[in-house]
Amino acid sequence: MASLDTAGTVETSKTKTPKMWFWTSPGKMFLAMAVIASGWLIQRWYQQWAGWEFGMDSTHPDFQFYWMNLFYFNLAFTAALGIGIWSYLWLTRDRDMVNLAPREEVKRIFNFVGILTCYVFAVYWAGSFFAEQDAAWHQVAIRDTSFTPSHIVLFYGAFPLYIVLGITSYVYAMTRLPIYSRRISIPLTMAVAGPFMLMPNLGFNEWGHAFWAFEEIFTAPIHYGFVIFGWTALALGGVLMEVVNRFVNYLFPTIYGKDFAKELTDKKSPMSL
Amino acid sequence: MAVSESGSDSKLGSGADLRFLSRIFDFAVALIVLMLLMAAFHVHAMLTIGDWDFWVDWKDERFWVVITPVLLITFPAAFQYIFWENFRLPFAATLCLLALVLAEWITRVTAFNMWAYMPFSMVWPATLIPGAIVLDLVLMLTGNMLMTAIFGGMAFGLMFYPGNWPMLAAFMQPVDVHGSLMSVADQIGYTYTRTSTPEYLRIINRGTLRTFGGSAAPVSAFFSAFLCIIMYMIWWQIGKFFCKLITIPNVLRTHMGYGQEEKPNEGDLPLKA
Repeated sequence: MASLDTAGTVETSKTKTPKMWFWTSPGKMFLAMAVIASGWLIQRWYQQWAGWEFGMDSTHPDFQFYWMNLFYFNLAFTAALGIGIWSYLWLTRDRDMVNLAPREEVKRIFNFVGILTCYVFAVYWAGSFFAEQDAAWHQVAIRDTSFTPSHIVLFYGAFPLYIVLGITSYVYAMTRLPIYSRRISIPLTMAVAGPFMLMPNLGFNEWGHAFWAFEEIFTAPIHYGFVIFGWTALALGGVLMEVVNRFVNYLFPTIYGKDFAKELTDKKSPMSL
Repeated sequence: MAVSESGSDSKLGSGADLRFLSRIFDFAVALIVLMLLMAAFHVHAMLTIGDWDFWVDWKDERFWVVITPVLLITFPAAFQYIFWENFRLPFAATLCLLALVLAEWITRVTAFNMWAYMPFSMVWPATLIPGAIVLDLVLMLTGNMLMTAIFGGMAFGLMFYPGNWPMLAAFMQPVDVHGSLMSVADQIGYTYTRTSTPEYLRIINRGTLRTFGGSAAPVSAFFSAFLCIIMYMIWWQIGKFFCKLITIPNVLRTHMGYGQEEKPNEGDLPLKA
């Protein structure tokens, strides 16, 4: 006996439904995170190898070879990655969102959560790992250029990558999820646009460091722009509330029936919440 | 397979399936929250109180004691709103500070020690976990933002210095160096030169700092407690703001199959504001 579920897929009694039908690609998420971590650990190793040896004098030919080439690579790679992913997402968008089946929407929400996880993971490398490393370097080594060994990885590698992934999550949400395509979500916009603004704010940072703040104090006002735009990451709390609202008010009642809350609190089940 | 009115078959629509889905969603969100805190809270911390936290000789009794709790009660207050008001979870503050300390230790090891070659005795981060536990406890027991701000916020500020004293005490011991009296922390700071950092000790150790008989810290802690109460209330509201479900019209909606005009119910329920 065959039946058609709400996702529009045909199932037979012989077909075994995957237990994790709602999230078919967590492996891809962990793979993406592993690739991101590997890329940054390799660049961290490169910093260790070439930082003190070739990264102290920007006028030296070795600096041009070992560091400026990494700078060009980071920018070119992230630009190509962004254009590729965004183009793919836009060209393959759902053109009939009105008739999206509830189960398919659940799957897409979990994919969205997976992309957000990769985005936040990339923000971690930029905002924590390489950002405080920048303090360790610049409070010890005197700078003679904006393109220092720590900046090339932080500002021109880690920052562009999380911007690419942030916009990817935004484009995915707008082209595949009803709650983000019908109207524009301000929390999601802030969660992506706010951290993005750290990059333009870099202009102020470098301008200040070039003209008056030659020494490095991390708590100086010249860095407060990074702080304020960093606060907007809190808007992911709003994104969480949007998704939970969608589950509770529409998807769960539609898929599991109006009494779905009783199922969640069934104490007889070992999976009871 | 039987198909219910809601479109779910007997297996996919079961309570166990729903509980499993909810549990996986919880894990995914937990991963995002942890990394988000390690990124955003760490950026906030390093650029507002970072220098005091980086170096042992910056951990003075005047500004370190005041500034650190005041600026680090921010994210805990905002996350307490998100976690408590929406999910009744009473561990937001502790989670924030745990994530922060974890992120800090990663960079103190990989950057400050392994790349800038500073000893751990010089770059260990402060902890606010004791105050965070009390903050969570007060919220859990009272369930009231105002009470938490007054009693929890005050405790958060007051407990900072005694909470760190077991780590700091050894570095506050006096030492005679070529006829000059200084603390062990000062001596470490003089020994490991930070070429590109202003000398904090020459800025701070002047005026009437010693007029409390060497015990300026309690006065600073009380001032910090006062400011923490105010800061907690401000950031509770900021957390509330970032969770607001605000949307604006999407001019690109026709590209996803929607009509030009918005309809009251386009296949789902409206978001709960």
